[in-house]
Amino acid sequence: MNLSFFDQFTSPCLLGIPLILLSMLFPALLLPTPDNRWITNRFATLQLWFSHLITKQLMTPLNKAGHKWALILTSLMMFLLLINLLGLLPYTFTPTTQLSMNMALAFPLWLATLLTGLRNQPSASLGHLLPEGTPTPLIPALIMIETTSLLIRPLALGVRLTANLTAGHLLIQLISTATTALLPLIPAVSLLTASILLLLTLLEVAVAMIQAYVFVLLLSLYLQENI
Amino acid sequence: MAGHDSGSQHQFTGFQKYFNSYTITGRRNYVIATYTGVAMLVLYFKLRPKKKTPAVADK
Repeated sequence: MNLSFFDQFTSPCLLGIPLILLSMLFPALLLPTPDNRWITNRFATLQLWFSHLITKQLMTPLNKAGHKWALILTSLMMFLLLINLLGLLPYTFTPTTQLSMNMALAFPLWLATLLTGLRNQPSASLGHLLPEGTPTPLIPALIMIETTSLLIRPLALGVRLTANLTAGHLLIQLISTATTALLPLIPAVSLLTASILLLLTLLEVAVAMIQAYVFVLLLSLYLQENI
Repeated sequence: MAGHDSGSQHQFTGFQKYFNSYTITGRRNYVIATYTGVAMLVLYFKLRPKKKTPAVADK
């Protein structure tokens, strides 16, 4: 069966059963099981250190009420990080290349931050839609612009993650195809393409980690404005 | 970051007491007024009676 360049993004299905749920649950299997011992093994200690680092980074700018979000933000970060990194393995499906999944994560969480703000401090939430010190003639236009920028946030969150990962995976496939196609023809150029592929793979590892971090960081920033 | 209001040193009177771009309540009122204005415009164009064009006479 001939594959096109976009077949890697097709949601996997086996005998009619969608496997995307399995690929979303798989990263959790890689995390060590919590134990009742105070000191466990090196892997568990490393994971604990990392999750503490993420939690401290995200929670420091937030007030006490925002600390209720620690669990969801840290687990979201670990989830996205593991999915993005696992997707870089050959022949592995990356669930975060699906816009549906990223929008399903971005939209409810953004809406939750918005509703938290409207519920707890409605005046401040509405007041922040107009920047301080705006000249009077510009006020209606600026309010509409700020409203638009507010409403476009979930779309930007979801599309940013999808586009970055999809573009990266596509580039890797294109360059690796070029490398293998050129190998019998012009080995020197194939070697150059292979070195570009190596650099690109390193970049994609960085992008995978950064995009997970940016997603969660932006959500925490939206929360900071509203809590 | 949330709720800081640097407009406390401004002493506004009249219209500007409720609608200004410095205090949080002033900004909030401007936002509500703008949204109300947009809603009124939408309602006006939605509910206005449609003009019936007279039938074109056969040539």
